[in-house]
Amino acid sequence: MSDTNQLEPLVRRWGKRCALSDTDREAVLGLPVTRKSFSKDAYMVREGQRTTECTVLVRGFAYRQKLLSDGDRQIISFHIPSEFVDLQNGVLETADHNVQSLNHCEVAAVPRSALMDLADAYPAIRLAMWIDTLIDSSVFREWVVNVGRRDSRARIAHLLCELALRLERTGAGRDGIFNFPLTQEQLADATGLTAVHTNRTLQSLRRDNLIQLSNGTLRVLDWKGLCEVGDFDELYLHQQI
Amino acid sequence: MDQSPLEMFLADLRSHSPLSNDDRNAILALPMRLRQLDAGSYIIREGDVPTHCCILVTGFAYRQKFTGEGSRQILSVCIPGDAIDFQNMFLDISDHAVQLLTRSVIADIPREALQDLVLARPAIGVAVIHSTLIEASILREWVVNVGRRDARARIAHILCEFAVRLEARSLASKQGFELPMTQEQLADATGLTPVHVNRVLKGLQADGLISRQRRNIQFTDWRALQDTADFNRRYLHLPGEDELAVAAM
Repeated sequence: MSDTNQLEPLVRRWGKRCALSDTDREAVLGLPVTRKSFSKDAYMVREGQRTTECTVLVRGFAYRQKLLSDGDRQIISFHIPSEFVDLQNGVLETADHNVQSLNHCEVAAVPRSALMDLADAYPAIRLAMWIDTLIDSSVFREWVVNVGRRDSRARIAHLLCELALRLERTGAGRDGIFNFPLTQEQLADATGLTAVHTNRTLQSLRRDNLIQLSNGTLRVLDWKGLCEVGDFDELYLHQQI
Repeated sequence: MDQSPLEMFLADLRSHSPLSNDDRNAILALPMRLRQLDAGSYIIREGDVPTHCCILVTGFAYRQKFTGEGSRQILSVCIPGDAIDFQNMFLDISDHAVQLLTRSVIADIPREALQDLVLARPAIGVAVIHSTLIEASILREWVVNVGRRDARARIAHILCEFAVRLEARSLASKQGFELPMTQEQLADATGLTPVHVNRVLKGLQADGLISRQRRNIQFTDWRALQDTADFNRRYLHLPGEDELAVAAM
């Protein structure tokens, strides 16, 4: 039973958006899963790998990234518990990017074929998976805008708003205080900035009493102010919960 | 184009996903309406509630978003045969706008008819998800392009991508193509200024990687252009190539 329980948060999240019947829920909870744990910075998926499974994050944070041929890294998204980190690999044959753990992670790996059989047999689950992939795309679009057309202060503020809101929605933070294990280097790689520039930008957000960031904790002191600086409008998250 | 819009849609799905005769007939029976629209027309605006999903039959379109200060970022370019806003199929508010780059013909399919079809027929559902996932992969590559590549590589990358996508639909060859974008639009797609784009295009030309006559771009050194762009076509998940990539490992 402990294995199937790992998918409970996923079922709960899907159930908030799609009408899942008891049969749908049982089908998801009945998926064969392999529990895995990853230490900080481990690779969960590597670019170029043949895809065999999809991974639900149970505990910890993960991120998608791509490496350039000169070794530069661009982080493409962050993931929090109850989310798939690589749902596209249920359909696409080859992984087109890497997935890494941000801190210690516990995951439930589901064989690709079992997941696709489930999608085949249960329309409501197919819909839930579909909405996940569409929201992923919407977040990618917003990230293109963020790195393409916002200045450094807005980029960092936007990313902090996104993460704070998503964490709050899953109950992982409250009263504006969040467990925030990202390093400045990772913030830089997610926003297309240098680490030095990121540091300076964080200091300016701090000076303006918008945030406090220390010892892996983010405090949002002025949510409205931070949203304004970040040009943040949550429409693109499509009420992801 | 001899194919009907629904045949184009079907051909795209079948390039990566097997479909039965029943599935094929169900797609070809979808209700549809053709419209011809001028360059600059909006297919959908950010914040709109989508009622139709459409297929680009001829011409080019692009997805875009505006920042609060009014700068524009182009997010992707749609080519003939692309499903334009299947992104909105199960999301109730459009999070971005789609605008036509050129005079185009589009085929509107009522959103509900498409929703019913993909939920009733699993194989079609998975095939449409597959196309949507490839779009997502292209978006990820664009995050990388504007986030971590220099101006020269960004422009070279967008040219390579466009060429390979057009070639896969037999709409261009690697010798060259007609670029349907202005330098201002290229700038908005790469997070640069138009002046910078102009300089980069001149540089690529001076180095013998491309030659240009108005908007016609010829690839005089395709390999060097790909190197400059740091271009690896894996993210396009072109038919047959995922298997090749795996076999080469």
